[in-house]
Amino acid sequence: MITIHGTLKFRLALWLLVTVSGLGIFLLIEAYTSAHRAADRAFDSQLEAAGLTIAEAIQWQDGQPVVEIPAAAFQILATNQQERVFYAVIDATGQEVTGNLKSSVRPTWRREAKQHPVWLSIPYDDVAIRLHGRELDSAGWESQEPVQIWVGHTLSGRQALANQLFERSLTRFLLMVLLASLLMMLAIKTALRPIRRLRHLLRRREADDISPLNAQVPAELYDLAETLNSLFARQREGRDALLRLTADASHQLKTPLAGLQNTSELALQSDNPEQWYQALQRVHESAARTSRLANQLLSLARLRHASAQMLERLDLKTTLRDCVMEWAERDIAQHHDLGLAPLPASPVTIKAEPWAIREMIGNLIDNALRHTPQGSEITLGLECGIDEVTLFIEDNGPGVSEAMLDRLHHPFERAGRQDTLGSGLGLAIVDSIVRRHEGSLRVQRSSTSGLYVGIHLPLTYPSPT
Amino acid sequence: MIRSRAWHALFICWGLLLPSTVLAQTQTRLVIEAALDRQVVAPLLEAFTQAHPDIELDYRDRSTIEVDRQAQRAPAPDVVISSAMPWQMARVNDGLAQPLESKQARNWPAWAKWRDEVFGFTFEPIVTVYRLELARHMLPPTTHAALYRLLMTQKKRLHGRVTTYSPTRSGVGYTLFQQDARYSPRFWDMVAAMGSADVELEDSTQDMLEGLSEGKYWIGYNLLGSYAMRWAQTHPELIVQVPQDYALVMMRMAFIHRDASHPAAAKAFLNFLLGSEGQRILAGRTPLFSILADVVGPYTAQRLRDQVGERLYPIPLDASLLAFVDAQRRDAFIARWNREIRILDP
Repeated sequence: MITIHGTLKFRLALWLLVTVSGLGIFLLIEAYTSAHRAADRAFDSQLEAAGLTIAEAIQWQDGQPVVEIPAAAFQILATNQQERVFYAVIDATGQEVTGNLKSSVRPTWRREAKQHPVWLSIPYDDVAIRLHGRELDSAGWESQEPVQIWVGHTLSGRQALANQLFERSLTRFLLMVLLASLLMMLAIKTALRPIRRLRHLLRRREADDISPLNAQVPAELYDLAETLNSLFARQREGRDALLRLTADASHQLKTPLAGLQNTSELALQSDNPEQWYQALQRVHESAARTSRLANQLLSLARLRHASAQMLERLDLKTTLRDCVMEWAERDIAQHHDLGLAPLPASPVTIKAEPWAIREMIGNLIDNALRHTPQGSEITLGLECGIDEVTLFIEDNGPGVSEAMLDRLHHPFERAGRQDTLGSGLGLAIVDSIVRRHEGSLRVQRSSTSGLYVGIHLPLTYPSPT
Repeated sequence: MIRSRAWHALFICWGLLLPSTVLAQTQTRLVIEAALDRQVVAPLLEAFTQAHPDIELDYRDRSTIEVDRQAQRAPAPDVVISSAMPWQMARVNDGLAQPLESKQARNWPAWAKWRDEVFGFTFEPIVTVYRLELARHMLPPTTHAALYRLLMTQKKRLHGRVTTYSPTRSGVGYTLFQQDARYSPRFWDMVAAMGSADVELEDSTQDMLEGLSEGKYWIGYNLLGSYAMRWAQTHPELIVQVPQDYALVMMRMAFIHRDASHPAAAKAFLNFLLGSEGQRILAGRTPLFSILADVVGPYTAQRLRDQVGERLYPIPLDASLLAFVDAQRRDAFIARWNREIRILDP
């Protein structure tokens, strides 16, 4: 039992939404970090420019670095976001030559700046600032000691730029999501249209319309349409079989009934009690035959249309022996040589409905008795394979032609003979029972040119208990 | 008319000095450290007190250097006003100001504010003042170049009769000279010329104006136009000349201190100062000049431009001011000043 709630449209939309949101979160995180990176790059280069501008103004005088701080350096540092600016010019001894950083450049940073320009994000006076330090080797008349230039500013410009960049990405993303959802809705609608059309097609059908679907469908729906078509085909076959059976049954019942009518009419016209007696006897025989025919029709219908009963374990050997014994005692078998081939020593267990198996064996024997001349030998037996057992019956009667062999198990087929007493239903019933038990039926000539019927049934091994 | 207004202003100042017990108990005491003459700004303070009777003004009129010192000391004042622009900028850069978020602050021109923390609220031209006597002996100078020529040609007559700011003792003077030196290298020729005329260096515009009125000086260079114009109204012997080649313009800068004890009152004061009413009073009843274009009055930046043309050069209110307070740059400037002022000495 499949239980799927909601619509396909909803499920598709949900999964697309989950995918888009997952990707979207990833994209937005990426956009956020890259916006900050870009803003940092832009503003870091301004720090660098300011540092270089100050470096340009450094000169040596009386063994001391002297710098006439260029006003432009501060304008570069402050940027158009009007940042607070910080700067320090530090000599080789770590002394602040000039600046407003109040000796907050740490010795470790100074050591690092000796190697390469340094970029730091640090807290200063309760605000976060970005600090850049670089060392400058400058020549002088008395001294050639290196000088470090440290410049920094607050971060509002970076924040503003990063926010602006991120907002732009966010806007683009939201717009994309909006467009994508619109397109997605359209796409879902288009993609699901074949299903809707198939549904319409099925809904429009008449209750008894079992013709194949006339639909060209996408690959995903092809299997469904094919399955539906084969279902319809099976229904059609079933109905055809039923109609054929009904027609045949009526035809079969009509013949003996017509005979009964004839006999009784003839008897009624006569006033000879001798003839009445003979007529009554014929009526009795004919009624018996008709009754048997009706019984067989009934069991065929039951086999074909009743649902499977509970299967139970059954020893086929015992069942076969009992049935043969029972049939051997009947009047009808008195003129034939009915016998059993040697049976296997161990029990032969199958899963089956006991009544059906007995019916099957009965029909096989009955069939053989009716279609062979008196004095024929009829032998039943079992042959055990690895996972299946073969129940066979063979006779040394006249047999049937090769062409008829394949059709023998169809209802009302009497191997071309209309003269025998059979109804033509025997092998059809057998065939139905075999199918019910997932077995197969093989009809062929026997070694003695008679008929051989083999029934293969799957074996069930007795449970280890 | 002028006299009565001055009297009126004096009365207001006296009123402000009344002990607070006389006034309502619930008053907030707003401390303003200002390098701005109380007499000049009195009409504004009076109007503010009328608009905000619950705020008592403690207006402390000091020199620029003293104001800067007070701003860095505890207890912090609420509002700091000074004409020493680089120092004001340095204090803001140190993080001593707090931002003002208001309609007035937003509407304020971008070139006259920084970080929405400090605002240049006046537009004071820097002028040359000379005595009428000078005109009898020589053509009064209308440009920097003319002044230089005069100093070089009339050495004898002008000897000891020239005055200007001391760059060491006055923050405003130092700033103005730095700005002069930025515009023209010939400024140093002027310094040398003034040095050869034995220039007298004064601490304030007031001192220079008094010396001029007394006849001690004939010519004063780089005076605050606001004070000079007001003084000249009652001292007809003095002529105020806005230089015709270029005139520096100074802005008083005001900010609310980060550690203000009464931030709300301080914001109210600055909003009043920057608002249309405060600016109208500045333009109409003080010589401080309003920078707002839509304010009407005798003292507006627009009117000044109409009178002297487009040669007004406001000292830019931006981070470049910080260079002027850099200790090394200052030392280097003073060293050069001292060198140049003696260079023509025999």
